[in-house]
Amino acid sequence: MDSESKNMQRDSIQRRLIASVLLSQSILTVGLMVIGVIVTYWRLLSTLDVAMQAHATSVAVLVRYTDDGSGHVYFDNSLLPESIDPNHPDQFMVWADRTGYLTRSEDWPEGLQFQPGPSQHWNFSWAGVPYHGVRMSHVPVLDRPDNASVKPQTLTIVYASPTVRIRQQVKAALAAITAASLLMLGATTWLASWKIRRGLLPLQILARQASLVSTQSWKLQPPKEAEDIEELRPLTESMTQMLARLEYSFKQQREFVGNAAHELKTPVAVLKSTLQSLLQRPRSSEEYRAGLQASLEDLERLEQLLQWMLRLARAEQWAQNGQQRELEIIDINSTCEEAVGRIRSLAQSRNTSIHLATNGPVLFRADPEDLQLVWTNLLENAVRYSPEGSSVEVAVARAGEKAQITFQDHGAGISPSDLPRIFDRFYRGDRSRTRATGGFGLGLAIVKALVEAYGGSIAAESTPGEGTRMTVELPIPGRKSSATG
Amino acid sequence: MRVLVVEDEIRLAENVARSLRESAGYAVDVASDGQEGLFLAESNTYDVVLLDLMLPKLDGMELLGRIRQSGQRTPVLVLTARDDKESVIALLNAGADDYLTKPFDLGELLARTKALIRRGKGQASPVVTIGDLELNTVNRTVQRGGKAITLTAMEYRVLEYLVHRPRAVVSKTELLEHLYDYNWEKFSNVIEVYISGLRRKLNEGSSRQLIRTLRGQGYMLQD
Repeated sequence: MDSESKNMQRDSIQRRLIASVLLSQSILTVGLMVIGVIVTYWRLLSTLDVAMQAHATSVAVLVRYTDDGSGHVYFDNSLLPESIDPNHPDQFMVWADRTGYLTRSEDWPEGLQFQPGPSQHWNFSWAGVPYHGVRMSHVPVLDRPDNASVKPQTLTIVYASPTVRIRQQVKAALAAITAASLLMLGATTWLASWKIRRGLLPLQILARQASLVSTQSWKLQPPKEAEDIEELRPLTESMTQMLARLEYSFKQQREFVGNAAHELKTPVAVLKSTLQSLLQRPRSSEEYRAGLQASLEDLERLEQLLQWMLRLARAEQWAQNGQQRELEIIDINSTCEEAVGRIRSLAQSRNTSIHLATNGPVLFRADPEDLQLVWTNLLENAVRYSPEGSSVEVAVARAGEKAQITFQDHGAGISPSDLPRIFDRFYRGDRSRTRATGGFGLGLAIVKALVEAYGGSIAAESTPGEGTRMTVELPIPGRKSSATG
Repeated sequence: MRVLVVEDEIRLAENVARSLRESAGYAVDVASDGQEGLFLAESNTYDVVLLDLMLPKLDGMELLGRIRQSGQRTPVLVLTARDDKESVIALLNAGADDYLTKPFDLGELLARTKALIRRGKGQASPVVTIGDLELNTVNRTVQRGGKAITLTAMEYRVLEYLVHRPRAVVSKTELLEHLYDYNWEKFSNVIEVYISGLRRKLNEGSSRQLIRTLRGQGYMLQD
């Protein structure tokens, strides 16, 4: 297993490409060799055939009619033709149609029999020597019979010639083709691997560039060589996009950690100073009790801040990755009513009235706690920033595929410079007021993240001196589709 | 010595003030926002200002700028939650004398405050010597001619201030302003009581008078 996985690791595109080139070239070479051998063989054989037919005709010339006028023929072996291959004698056998068997070559192999028949070619082996044979029928006897009334005879000639030379020639041709092919194979393989290596160079350059990417410098400078290559473009594009996304979330994360650390410093400083000043000198038990009580309060504030931060982190995670929770269908109106109930005592203490305007149930799939948190936060802000004796109006309406919930107050409003930043984490428009109300600057950030977790949006409009209107829009899918994110 | 603490986190301001009062015997005024801080800094003379940066109504950096613009040389110790180089450089360049990052140690805060006061008065050593008089601002002990002198807390504070302004005429008002917080007017008659107590204790076994009274002008510590 281990060595196998090692081999897997060492697999390389370059090697694979070279291997496939080598394989296809080898197949090509073998094919060429086979074709070359076959073609050479057939050419040589057909040449031999022609020579054999010529020789057979020379043999036929040696057949003569007898002088007795019987119309029989005999073979005159005084003028036998030379063998085609001087080293390997040809063989032949002749029949006449009336006279029958006439003659055969001197060293005709004993036991080798041929019956007269139609003309044909074939190969055979005799005593370890390969032969190519041809049988020619109806070969006319060239000699004329003395007696004109005698019907001329025709001959059947079997002529066989050893193919030893052809075999040698084919072997020589094969050797030549093989040598040339191997030479070419080597040259083309070297060329192909060089080209492949060159062709893969942009990948290496890209990898080198990618290795320069770090948390300090997220910019990937795709080399021009890589950008020009069609196959690499999707890769470089997706890498650049991925890096941009990573950089964004990394920056956000770092910003959040920085903000959180900064925000935690103050409550920690308070707690630390309380305890240190308590220890500075011996104190009465009442003083210790008061100091511990104060420390506990400091701790509670710290705990509260942590809870808000966790809640924000969770809401932002939902907003980014979608929620994997069981959600129930609820009426937005009832969550608004619940929120108004929670804020009522605060409103009463500030002599502020809250008016909730609804128009029929607006059903939505959500965790009611989330929606109540959103409404409570928005309502609390509206009430806190309203002058005493004024009113806050909440309206729930359905507009097509959306539920629209608005919170209108008649307070001092938000300055145009603050307005774009009020949903930022840890942003406080007026520190004195939010600090006095125990705010951490996280409320609106959580509201926004929760609204976005449900696929909705939130917008703030404000006229300084006249009031602020917060509008939340939540998508209500048509009846057929059921759930939200 | 009188210190102004400008810090919007009331609990933190209280703890710092309590520590300065108890451990160093300083008079402390607390402002919980920038505007109040600026008002106090402009209407009183402080020996050191402890300044938070993120303040409601008026930003700490702006407050610092205003104080420096008006020509005040009071040392300023900035209490900040940010310790990145840029903000430290910015605040020092804006006229701050020192900074402490939150959460800080109260002991360190005291030591830095004392050092700033010392420097503000042109003193380098925490042990101040005038003739044969020796005052240790760290242990808050006094010796004359090698002999330890036990002072009450208030007597020590009067002497500490005078020691930091040697050979200078210090008016009764100046003493009051630097020894008490903004309620100092109530205490206008007690200074003479402390001065006479100091004189009696410092002069034991010595003929030479250290604290001179200049009629209608104030007091002068001489060697």
